[in-house]
Amino acid sequence: MPSDRAASPFSVSTPAISIQNLTKEFSIPFKREKVTAVKGVSLSVEPGQVYGLLGPNGSGKSTTMKIVLGLVSPTAGKTEIFGRDSADVESKEDVGFLPENPYFYKYLTGEETLHFYGKLCGLKGAKLRDRAKELLNLVGLEEAADRRLGGYSKGMLQRIGLAQAMVQEPHLLVLDEPTAGVDPAGSREIRDLILDFKKRGITVLLCSHLLGQVQEICDRIGILHRGALIREGRLDDLISIENQTEIILENASPELLAEIQSLVAKTPARILDQRKPHTTLERYFLEVTGSK
Amino acid sequence: MNAISSATRHQHFSIARISAISSNTLLELIRLKVFYFMLIFALVIIGSSFFLVKLTFQAQFQVLKDVALGAMSIFTWLLAVLSTAMLLPKDIEDRTLYTILAKPVPRLEYLLGKLIGVLLLLFVAISFMSALFVVVLYAKQQSAIAELVARSGSDGAAAEIRSILSETFTWNLVPGIIFIYLKAALCAALTLLLSTFASSTIFTIMVSVVIYIIGHVQPIARDYVVHSHGASSATIVWLTLESLLIPDLSAFSLVDDIAAGTAISMNLFLQTAGMGGIYVIVYFLVGYFVFWFKEL
Repeated sequence: MPSDRAASPFSVSTPAISIQNLTKEFSIPFKREKVTAVKGVSLSVEPGQVYGLLGPNGSGKSTTMKIVLGLVSPTAGKTEIFGRDSADVESKEDVGFLPENPYFYKYLTGEETLHFYGKLCGLKGAKLRDRAKELLNLVGLEEAADRRLGGYSKGMLQRIGLAQAMVQEPHLLVLDEPTAGVDPAGSREIRDLILDFKKRGITVLLCSHLLGQVQEICDRIGILHRGALIREGRLDDLISIENQTEIILENASPELLAEIQSLVAKTPARILDQRKPHTTLERYFLEVTGSK
Repeated sequence: MNAISSATRHQHFSIARISAISSNTLLELIRLKVFYFMLIFALVIIGSSFFLVKLTFQAQFQVLKDVALGAMSIFTWLLAVLSTAMLLPKDIEDRTLYTILAKPVPRLEYLLGKLIGVLLLLFVAISFMSALFVVVLYAKQQSAIAELVARSGSDGAAAEIRSILSETFTWNLVPGIIFIYLKAALCAALTLLLSTFASSTIFTIMVSVVIYIIGHVQPIARDYVVHSHGASSATIVWLTLESLLIPDLSAFSLVDDIAAGTAISMNLFLQTAGMGGIYVIVYFLVGYFVFWFKEL
C-alpha cells in the first residue's frame, strides 16, 4: 500500500464540498403542507479536512448528505463536489460513501463485494483484483476475504463498507455514523482508518452522534438544528474557553504545587480546579479487555 | 491524478456496469432459492405423465403438452412478479442502493441492470423447464411406441407410430415457449415499473396480479362492447385507454393451439412478439422516468 496518496487533481482553491443556500422541503402525502428538512444551509469543506456534521436526530444531516451525493434533489440552492454539480453522475467519480447501518449483499464474500463495487467504478482485471486485495489488507479483512458477508460481525461490515467506499481511490469520503453499533475496539479501528485517510490527504465528511470521536478526528464542524446551520467553524476555536488555561504537570511535588498556588494568589487570576487528569473510558476499556 | 482514477474516466453509458449489476441481480435471485419453483414444476409434469394412462396416446400427448405449457406459463409469471417486486425495495431498505448510486452509476443503468438480471433468471428458468418438458415428452413417446410394438408388432402399429412421431414434437412448441417467456418478461417490466413508486412489496405484487387478470379478461370485455350496441362512449374510451396501458395477455396464451397442433403463422408470431417487446421497452422507460425523480 503506498504510504502517501497522490496529490488531488483539483485546484487547492476548489472546495471538496461546497453547499450554497441549500433548502429542502418534503411534501406530505395527501396534505398541502410541506416539511422543511434543510433551511438555507451554506458551508464549505476544504480539501484534506475532516469535517464533522453534527446535530440531533431529524436535524437534516442525512438529507444534506444525500443531496451532496445526488440521491435527493434540493428544493433551492446548490451543492458541488470539487467544483462539479453533485447532481451530475460524473461528480461521483471522486466520492466514496458509507451509509449508516449498511447491509451489503450477504451472499457475496468480502472480495466479491469489492469486485462488484470496483466494476461499477470501471475497474477490471488484474487492477481490480490488486485493488481489492490492497483494500482488504488496509481494513484488516484479508483473513475474511473469502467469507460471505452474512457471517461478518457489525464491525467487519463497517470495515468492508469503508473498503468499498475507497475502491476507486476517491478524494472525498462521506461517512454516515461509521461506528454506529460497533464495539469500542472496532470503533477505534475505524477511527484509526479515518485518521489514516486524513494522512493520505483524503477529505472526509463525517456524520456522527459520538461527539468524543468527532472531537478526536475532526478539524472543523458544523452543527445543524431543525434544518438550520446554527454553528460552524474550526473545532479548536469553537470549543476552547478563551479566558482559561490548562496546565498539565507530571511528577509535580507538593511544594511546587504550593508555590504555584501562592503565585496565582498574588494575581487577579484564580485556580478553578486542581485534580488528577483522567484517562478516557475508551482507553481504560481497551486496556482491561486486552484490545490493541 | 493517480493510476486508478485516470483509468476510470466516466463513461455515460457502460455495458460493463450494467453487466455487473445484472449478473449480481441474477446471483441474488438464485441465492434466494427461487428455483424451488422448478421442483414443483418437475413434480407437476412428471406426475401428470403418469396419471394419463387411461387416455389414448394422442390424448395423452395433448394433455401433457397442455399441462406442461400451462404450468410453464404460470411458474414463469410467478417467478417474474415475485422476484422483481422485491428487488428495488430490498436495495432501498438495506441501503445498498445508496452505495451503488453514490458511485458513478446513472439510474438508467441501475434499473436496466436489474431488469436484465430478472430476464436472465427467466431465461434460465424457462430453459430448464423446456428441457425437462422435452425429456418427459420424449420418455412418454418412447414408452408409447414400445407399448404399441409389444401389443401389435412393429408392422401392425406402423401407422400409429408414425402418427405419434409426427404429433409429439411439433414446431409450434418453439413459438409457444417464446410467447410464455415474453409474457413473463412483460410482467417483470410492469412489476419493476410498479416498484419504482409503490410503497410496499405486497402492494406491487397485488397490483401486478390485478393487471395480469385484467390483461387476460380485457378481450372478453372488448368483444362484449363491440357486439353490444348500447355501450356508452365513456365505456369505449375507458376500454381503449385500458387496452393501450395493459396489453392483451391472452394473445400470448397459445397453449390450446399448440396442444391441438394448430399451426401458428409467422405473421401472428412476429406481431405478438413485437407487441411483447414494445410493452417491455415502454414499461421500462416509464419506470425509468419515475425512478429518475424518486427521492431516495
